Amino acid sequence: MAFEAVAFAYGRTTVVRDVAFEVREGEFVAVVGANGSGKTTLMRLALGLLRPTAGQARLFGTDVAAFRDWGKVGYVPQRAVTASALPLSVEEVVWTGLAGRRGLLRRRLAADRARFDHVVDLLGLSDVRRSRMSELSGGQQQRALIARALVTAPRLVVMDEPTTGVDADARRILRESLEHLVHIEGIAVVYVSHDPEGFTGLADRVLEVDAGSVRVRTEPSTHAPGASADQPVPAP
Amino acid sequence: MNPFEFEFMQRAFVACSIIAAVAPLVGSFIVQRGQSLVGDGMGHVAFAGVGVAFLFGADPVAGALASTLLAGLLLVRMGRAGLAGDVAIALIFYGGIALGFLLSARASTGQTRLVSLLFGSPLNLTWSEVSVIAGLAAVVVALVVILYPRLVAIAFDEQAARVAGVRTDRLVLALTLMVALVVVGGMTSIGLLLISAMMVVPVAAAAQIANSYRGTLVLAAAIGWFSAVAGLLASHYGDYAPGSAIVLAAIGCYLVASAWRPLARRMA
Repeated sequence: MAFEAVAFAYGRTTVVRDVAFEVREGEFVAVVGANGSGKTTLMRLALGLLRPTAGQARLFGTDVAAFRDWGKVGYVPQRAVTASALPLSVEEVVWTGLAGRRGLLRRRLAADRARFDHVVDLLGLSDVRRSRMSELSGGQQQRALIARALVTAPRLVVMDEPTTGVDADARRILRESLEHLVHIEGIAVVYVSHDPEGFTGLADRVLEVDAGSVRVRTEPSTHAPGASADQPVPAP
Repeated sequence: MNPFEFEFMQRAFVACSIIAAVAPLVGSFIVQRGQSLVGDGMGHVAFAGVGVAFLFGADPVAGALASTLLAGLLLVRMGRAGLAGDVAIALIFYGGIALGFLLSARASTGQTRLVSLLFGSPLNLTWSEVSVIAGLAAVVVALVVILYPRLVAIAFDEQAARVAGVRTDRLVLALTLMVALVVVGGMTSIGLLLISAMMVVPVAAAAQIANSYRGTLVLAAAIGWFSAVAGLLASHYGDYAPGSAIVLAAIGCYLVASAWRPLARRMA
């Protein structure tokens, strides 16, 4: 994921200004900032859900507007599931992650089924896979959304406030899952949160978003002592 | 007196069973997307097409089909341009029913004919009209089967579906056109003003009982079919308006399902 001088405005109100950064293969980058600072807007620009008013957002070297290889990207949006009008089982939610990859009228591939079983197991959802999402705890719902993001075996996962509304137990499981993703599967993670607890000790870098501008900080816990000084944003 | 002995009742049972079972399949996606009233609005727009058809002596089904497909395209375009606000949509929908009545009156269409299209008249269907309904329903079922995984994805979370690689704008267009096909298919049997109820009420009833999306779809289709049969039987034996009886039977199913869920929880 890379931003090159990206700016974005809602009407005349600029909410992201001249942002440049890059997330490298296998890197864990935390994005922090106060509510309304522009964190979520930044991620939506990165995923092509919003178009920059200036500059360019790229995924795997391609302008996000032209990017088609979405199997490489997983997204965990910030939202509650309990408001769903119709019942969805955990399985059904996780399978929607593969909706864009399956050909019309094509059966599920064995590899997809294996990956599905793996992520459901990884996130501790095996016992509730046929349960209604609305009857699960906030933590279980969030884990199902993370499983949906991981079912395509992505190389990059973007998580927007994944610990919002989840209990301590669920945070622990999420933390363990993140460690597995980063250290075992080597997936790059962009973790948006106002709560440092979720990424302390995991993040390679922290991007601080303030009024639509970004500063990069190297995390001391994963780097040599003394490497924690604030740095200006590097050119991608 | 066995109602199935009469050919007009056979035609009514076939037509209403088909459309009442298929309508919830499409309805499930619009209910989940929080657009339960889109079907109602499409019914209003279809009436404009009926009015144009009456004015030019054309087939009202063809007129309704043309106007709803056009409105579907327009709505999707407006959505992309960020113009599909509540007021804009209301203007299209209410403009449709007003235009439909104005043109029908100009064409001197009888009140009975208009009322039969608005509230359904399944007992007057010909086999040819039944086959048109079956054809439209077959197209809708085929689209639901082919697009099912993608439709579930956009119904549950459109933004996440986009990131999963689903071409959401095309899919929203397909869904809108499917709503149009159901409205036109249900026009002559259940009625333009009532068919949207069959897209929503059986789904709401099934959602009280089922544990999955697929389960909701299957159960909603079954409830739709049951409502059609029950409504037509009530209409036959009690001399009620069939379209209204079908919708009221569906609402009865919803009430039973709503009572059933807390009862089942208590027993579990």
